[in-house]
Amino acid sequence: MIQTKNLTKRYGKFTAVDGVNLNIPAGEIYGFLGPNGAGKTSTIMMLLGIVKPTSGEIRLFDETYTPKRLDLRRRIGMVPEKHPTGMWTWMTAGEYLQMFADLFGLEDSGRRIDHLLEQVGLAEVKNKKFAEFSRGMLQKLSIVRALLHDPDILFLDEPISGLDPFGVKQIRDLILEENREGRTIFISSHILSEMEKLCHRVAIIFGGKLMVEDQMKSMLNTLAKDREIHVDLEELPADLLGKVKALNFVQDATGEEKTLVVKVPKTGDYRKELSKYLIDQNLVPLSIQEKSLSLEEAFVTITKENINLFAGIGGEK
Amino acid sequence: MNQRAHATTVLARRRIFETLISPGFYVAQTIGLVLAYFLVAGFVRAIDSSGFDYQLYPAYELIGRSLVGAFGTTFVEKLFSEGPFLFILYIAFLPVLLYLAVSSVFRFGLEKKVGALELLTYGPADSTSYFLAALIKDILMTAIYLVVLLVFLLVAGVLNNLILGPSFYYSLIILFFLSVAIYAYGIFASSLTDNSASAIAVFLGLILFFIIIMMGSFTIVSGYVRNLASVFAWIIKWISPLFYWDLALRFVEVGDWGMYFIGILLLLVLSMAILIISHLTMKARGVRP
Repeated sequence: MIQTKNLTKRYGKFTAVDGVNLNIPAGEIYGFLGPNGAGKTSTIMMLLGIVKPTSGEIRLFDETYTPKRLDLRRRIGMVPEKHPTGMWTWMTAGEYLQMFADLFGLEDSGRRIDHLLEQVGLAEVKNKKFAEFSRGMLQKLSIVRALLHDPDILFLDEPISGLDPFGVKQIRDLILEENREGRTIFISSHILSEMEKLCHRVAIIFGGKLMVEDQMKSMLNTLAKDREIHVDLEELPADLLGKVKALNFVQDATGEEKTLVVKVPKTGDYRKELSKYLIDQNLVPLSIQEKSLSLEEAFVTITKENINLFAGIGGEK
Repeated sequence: MNQRAHATTVLARRRIFETLISPGFYVAQTIGLVLAYFLVAGFVRAIDSSGFDYQLYPAYELIGRSLVGAFGTTFVEKLFSEGPFLFILYIAFLPVLLYLAVSSVFRFGLEKKVGALELLTYGPADSTSYFLAALIKDILMTAIYLVVLLVFLLVAGVLNNLILGPSFYYSLIILFFLSVAIYAYGIFASSLTDNSASAIAVFLGLILFFIIIMMGSFTIVSGYVRNLASVFAWIIKWISPLFYWDLALRFVEVGDWGMYFIGILLLLVLSMAILIISHLTMKARGVRP
């Protein structure tokens, strides 16, 4: 659905996007991650047809896409990071949405606006001036605006940035619901924890280059330096930790009440060996679970300092 | 209707509605009409047994002296040859022309700076439909005001036993096309800049520059520099809408209607060229500040 080939954007001598290749199938939630200034917005602007690429090709819906293709652009919805402030302040939420519905030439736009406002929980404030809206409400209004014309692809730039936890959950649920309805979602963000909850696949861009692109689960496995096995026991003998630490596949072991937490290399599954050893020690494992590190635990946010870790594991695309 | 034409129509409708519900347009019109009222009243007072003498009314004397100083005696005599209405037309039109042009330039800069223009272009609108909508709004508002002004001056003429001469009507038409060219320059100034303040500065700077060239006032320089400035002014005048306006009025004076319409046509060609350059500039610079 979205394909780019050697997509490049240069501003003078500065290369904002450097030969990026993307291939995003329909129905996917694709996370586009990177620190500020990595080239995320430039890439999105090119995909939206707002900025012309210096070189490379963009294909949308299996057709070559250029800024002139307004017909293809109307199949895209875009939610920018921030809603423009100080403009259209005299408008109510309904009037604001109606303006965009008119631009798209939508039929029966009133019903569509009501339906979408209902969906995001803004139906009651339809006739209120949106200048009075909170950041979360504006973000939801922005999503409604982007969905008005029922686009096939929805782009979201930092959709949860600056929202409170309740707002984050509402926006997340909304994105997931839109995806369930078949919409392809492209999210740009630097907040990994949210991407982990939302995305099927993620790509990391840094210095304009695509450093790594993978399924979320594979990336998490790759990122994790080791694995943790959590074993619930009937009792935790005092000398057990020392014995477990001595096992050749164990890197570390700790105890939390009746739970034994064992760190093992990520290269293998050691649950069977550990379980066998504990039984040999006349202990009964009540449950045994492997817990991989979350992306959030690994990196709360991608920063310029830790991006090299990604580059090291993924290699350049 | 294609996407761009549809977006232009919707945006223009919205702009016209916003202009009609905001006080600015009415304030500018009121200023123009109040000025027209006082100038008509002053003119009546400045008539004696030998006819109109602008020196008999202090305001006219001040304006007359300024105009003579800036544009020469011939220009002023031409201006008042058919009575006061030609002069009043220009003066009363100026507030609305400035309001429409500057407010469009201001808004363009503001919408670009805060990202509103970018938001519009996420949909089926593009920067071209955006500035065409602004131009349509300005043209329509100008036409409305010119009709209002015409009616006002016709009534004032009837009440004071004065008539609006043929030059007035020809000037009224050319004024309309002159304003189109000035709005096009407003769009051009907006396309070059990223915020309202710099856009307005560029726009007013351009207009001032054209006025200086029209006045041909290079008295502050002398010798070689003055000659150079004159050559420069001769080249630049071809891109000045005031040049074509002046040209058309000269043809009105000699009764050459064919050339008068060519003057109008040239104003339209200039406006179109400026719009095309603005479109290309915007395409190259994008909608982001």
